[in-house]
Amino acid sequence: MLTGIYSIESGKFILDGKEVHPRNQVEANNEGISIIVQELGTLSGLTVAENIFLGHEDRFVKFGIKDTRAMNKLATELLEKYGFDHIKASDMIDHYNFEDRKLVEIVKATYFDPKIVVVDETTTALSQEGREELYKHMNRIREEGNSVIFISHDLPEVLDKSDTITVLRDGIYIDTVKSADVNEDDLKKLMVGREVVGNYYREDYGEKVSDEVVLSVRNVTVPGQIHDVNFDLHKGEILGFGGLSESGMHEVGKAVFGASYDREGSVTLSDGTQINSIPTAIKHSMAYTSKDRDNESVVMNQSIGDNICLPSLDDLANKVHLLNGKKLKSFAQEYAHEMSVKMVNTDQFVSELSGGNKQKVVLARWIGKDSDILVLDSPTRGIDIGVKQDIYQLMDQMRKNGKSIIMISEELMELMHMCDRIIIMKDGAVNGELMRDPEMTENSLISMMV
Amino acid sequence: MKKLSGSLRGYLILLLLVVVSWLFFKVITPHNFGSPENMVKYFEAGLIAATGAVGFYFVMVMGMFDFSIGANIMLSAIIGCVFASRFGLGYFGLVFGCVLSGLCVGLINGIFYIKLRIPSMIVTTGLALIYEALANFIGGAVAQTLPSDLRGFGQMPGDIILAFVAFALAYIILNYTKIGTYTYAIGSNEFVAKNMGINVNKYKVLAFVISGGFLGLMSILTISYGSSMVAVTGMQSMSRNFVPTMGCFFGLAFKKYGMPIQAIVIGEFVINIIFFGFIALGAPTAIQEVITGLALLIIITLTSKPVKGEIVK
Repeated sequence: MLTGIYSIESGKFILDGKEVHPRNQVEANNEGISIIVQELGTLSGLTVAENIFLGHEDRFVKFGIKDTRAMNKLATELLEKYGFDHIKASDMIDHYNFEDRKLVEIVKATYFDPKIVVVDETTTALSQEGREELYKHMNRIREEGNSVIFISHDLPEVLDKSDTITVLRDGIYIDTVKSADVNEDDLKKLMVGREVVGNYYREDYGEKVSDEVVLSVRNVTVPGQIHDVNFDLHKGEILGFGGLSESGMHEVGKAVFGASYDREGSVTLSDGTQINSIPTAIKHSMAYTSKDRDNESVVMNQSIGDNICLPSLDDLANKVHLLNGKKLKSFAQEYAHEMSVKMVNTDQFVSELSGGNKQKVVLARWIGKDSDILVLDSPTRGIDIGVKQDIYQLMDQMRKNGKSIIMISEELMELMHMCDRIIIMKDGAVNGELMRDPEMTENSLISMMV
Repeated sequence: MKKLSGSLRGYLILLLLVVVSWLFFKVITPHNFGSPENMVKYFEAGLIAATGAVGFYFVMVMGMFDFSIGANIMLSAIIGCVFASRFGLGYFGLVFGCVLSGLCVGLINGIFYIKLRIPSMIVTTGLALIYEALANFIGGAVAQTLPSDLRGFGQMPGDIILAFVAFALAYIILNYTKIGTYTYAIGSNEFVAKNMGINVNKYKVLAFVISGGFLGLMSILTISYGSSMVAVTGMQSMSRNFVPTMGCFFGLAFKKYGMPIQAIVIGEFVINIIFFGFIALGAPTAIQEVITGLALLIIITLTSKPVKGEIVK
């Protein structure tokens, strides 16, 4: 609302004693406010320079003609000033990866010295390197006397990077505290509304993982993405995959699930079934949740019920392949309630749910399918601490029930505390493996990642 | 360097298409196809549709469609002819009538699309029927013939000059004005574009107006080349949609090489080589149309090469 992406229904924003009411991001920029969004905020089909100055082209327009050269020149100067020399102003933005496009967004949001920069869950989409770059510019903005509103679910990051922290719960203001006066547990309590009792992560250490191999991955290569990946997944094991964002770990999840194109090598189940396509994977009790939840996991403009029932329709159909509405509804309700999805009812559209509840819908879908092998790519990305705890506990319970899980994550803490084994990817290949150990530190993982 | 190699590759692919399509028919029917004079003739014929296609490209890049292209060309040509001959305004009347009519049709298309909030295909299909009826009302059921002394745009150098002025204009609008940037921005992600302060509805209407204006220019070339225009009804004007639309597909396919306008012009040339090739072969019209359609679909499929897994709608 502060940047005009959503309209204000009541209340107002006051900046330097003056009410601000932007209707879009350009108006917000003119008021000295900018935003770096969680997902991709640059537009394909435009150059880097056009993206940086989108909505502000008038400064380069004379007699209706855009001075592209002047625009590129200024964009180049800005990119050099920010230290992003490898990005060329005149290149199409499509030539750059997600991380570089985020760097362009940093320039776009901050080059005009805004008084307030909103950084909205941006770090969850960035590798450590990208995060450090963002932190550097957040510090610069603060040192120049301006402010950053840093929105994040990552508590250590919030505590480390903020001066004051405001906690919201279910859209309601809860409290504002000084970061120096609180710790992670205090924040969790404020966020969840109660003491976070019981385990947050799984607590066991030293438990032996079954020797039974449920999935074997041999010499899996996806040209340009991953190279010669080999591993076994055991029954009841949580196997973690870590690395930098572009390390190839996300492609491993797709490759295992039969969703990669031009995949070489083999993915074999314990009964000898080769997994070469998504339908085969689903038919043989495999499940997959994508990092890109909105585009690849949920069907946004369909109901919660439809989303949960989707992979189970064959099981729910009668002998002549007709579906019974009541049966579908009851199936959806059962698993939505099991996952405690916050909803009006299962007819509600998924697009109206929060990120955490969308993820619960995705998990409800696969629990309903009773999948034995789950590939979870960034399962807690961008969701609040209460839902995170629910997901961690669910994973722990599934593990105890003999389900096997591949957990791909950019959050080192959850990898360290949830996995029996962690495989670290670097430059598309396996670069190391670590066993579950209470003494494991983030540095031991990072040293293999970079 | 990257951009140069990209567009260079695009030009090479297009050149290859020209050579392959020429060679194919030249081998089969060496005597009555593909002489240098004939090739110039095919190129000139291609310019007509390319003039409309470069405008229509603005609509298609934004993710919209226009089924009233043929009706627009027909109506604009008739109005231009009426202005030129019946009102005695000569060339000025021809250009003014055609372009004004094209712009008005584009404006009406855009406004109806925005206000009715229904898909552009449906809006423009409905409006095409109205434009056909209007053309029939203005021109009657008889052919509107352009006087022979006003057909300068139907031959060299008039047609080439008008077409290249249109291409230059489209190129400038696309690459050197805000309109071009916003066209791609809206086509890429309308929601984000809106958040950037772009008045999306305004630019969508503008895209239809630009398209209409260029189709108006195309109607000048069409009636000058063919010398007359008959108002048809019952959606028969839609047969005129095909060639400019295919040219536009060339533009969309070669957008990634940064040369959509050039691709439209050369693409229309390729379409005409194939078309005249079939005429030289004496193939029946139905066969010609089937093979032309298939050939063009193959060309676009091969040149588009979407990334594996990319969702194409």
